Amino acid sequence: MAFISSGYNPDKPMEDRITDIGPRKYDEFYPSVIAKNKGKWSHHEILEAGVIVHVAESGDEVYTVRVGGCRLMTTTHLEEICQIADKHCDGHVRFTTRNNVEFMVDSKDKVEPLKNDLASRIFSGGSQKFPIGGTGAGITNIVHTQGWIHCHTPATDASGTVKATMDEVFEDFQSMRLPAKLRISMACCLNMCGAVHCSDIAILGYHRKPPMLDHEYLDKICEIPLAIKACPTAAIRPAKTKLADGTEVKTVAVKNERCMFCGNCYTMCPSMPLADTEGDGIVLMAGGKVSNRISHPKFSKVVVAFIPNDMPRWPSMTDAIKKMINAYSNGANKYERLGDWAERIGWEKFFEVCELDFSHHLIDDFRQQAYMSWRQSTQFKF
Amino acid sequence: MATVEINGKEFEIDEDGFLLDYNNFSDEWVEYVRQQEGIDELTDEHTKVVTILQDYYEKNGIAPMVRVLSKLTKFKLKHIYELFPSGPGKGACKMAGLPKPTGCV
Repeated sequence: MAFISSGYNPDKPMEDRITDIGPRKYDEFYPSVIAKNKGKWSHHEILEAGVIVHVAESGDEVYTVRVGGCRLMTTTHLEEICQIADKHCDGHVRFTTRNNVEFMVDSKDKVEPLKNDLASRIFSGGSQKFPIGGTGAGITNIVHTQGWIHCHTPATDASGTVKATMDEVFEDFQSMRLPAKLRISMACCLNMCGAVHCSDIAILGYHRKPPMLDHEYLDKICEIPLAIKACPTAAIRPAKTKLADGTEVKTVAVKNERCMFCGNCYTMCPSMPLADTEGDGIVLMAGGKVSNRISHPKFSKVVVAFIPNDMPRWPSMTDAIKKMINAYSNGANKYERLGDWAERIGWEKFFEVCELDFSHHLIDDFRQQAYMSWRQSTQFKF
Repeated sequence: MATVEINGKEFEIDEDGFLLDYNNFSDEWVEYVRQQEGIDELTDEHTKVVTILQDYYEKNGIAPMVRVLSKLTKFKLKHIYELFPSGPGKGACKMAGLPKPTGCV
């Protein structure tokens, strides 16, 4: 398409420039019933999976229908969300912190038409556009990252693994049969953008090979001290090397036996790529939480050291996740999060009931605090 | 990698317009970046920022932190943005011929 100017003048970039205006204020977009009863809510109730009612002190009610969102959305899809909001909710809609979509109506008889409308919308491939669910003790949306769609450091894909996993656990999105809510998160490298370090089950992209060094360009496009400092195990040191044509260049040397393939150096230095088809894959973690309910917040722990990238459906990954969810739903008490359950029965039992292999990779060996994760007690189960 | 020509001199640049090799820096490059960054007129203050960035890079192998740049030039960050509308990284470092900033930017 030919160029169409927005009115911006590239010859005078600072002219008529509006800046530092921040986001629009949230209350501009409140539905009237929310604006009216803000700060005066009395109680709420989950009527069924995906449908919540909040009752205000004045007696006003607001019904919320939560639907799954794929997070990575086209404007066409957003337009359809707006159309639904126009039709049923006076043009109001909101997104949750786990990227679900919530439609709110102010009376009970508006709920059924809204639900029927949402359920009737299906992509041509057969997937539901707006599956209702994600409330209570079930599995809600997966917080995830960019993956192969957009990022340059991933070890696996985000949207693909998430779609494969949500398809497997879809029943739990639309029901509330678990002992407590179960949060699944996904990050495509161990930068851990998002919530993998504090989720009940976490999918994490992982490398298994040290970086390749592009000596010819390294000093030109990298700030070498930054690459050295990026390494958590001090595997990188400055070095000089002779290129094929005889010129001596500054570069770095990597001690491969000290490298644990975190990829931090690649983040700082484009001449140290480490993505690899066979080497890269997925680590599963489990047992984290952020809420303070009953027990303190926890970090998730590594429970599966490696699963190969098996595009496009990652069957061995979804299988391991399924095993964990089944063992958890069978074994945990009511209100027990996955981490609480694993700590109560002991991690040795967790691996037994989840039928997961325990390998030496799972034993912490990073610096001094690794010692604290070993068992300094005779209390264990055979 | 693309090449640009300015006043008869060729430069190898990446897709963001950063100079590929610091050693190829020259006055023509400053002129090229000035046009690219929408800076009307080069002042002594621009040159001071560029010189300090280059001194620091040659001595330390890295670009200075923003606070260090502020301290060395005695310009507040606000003033650096007035000189280089794209900021110290995309504007000043590019003009000084330093490598492209990396990390989660």
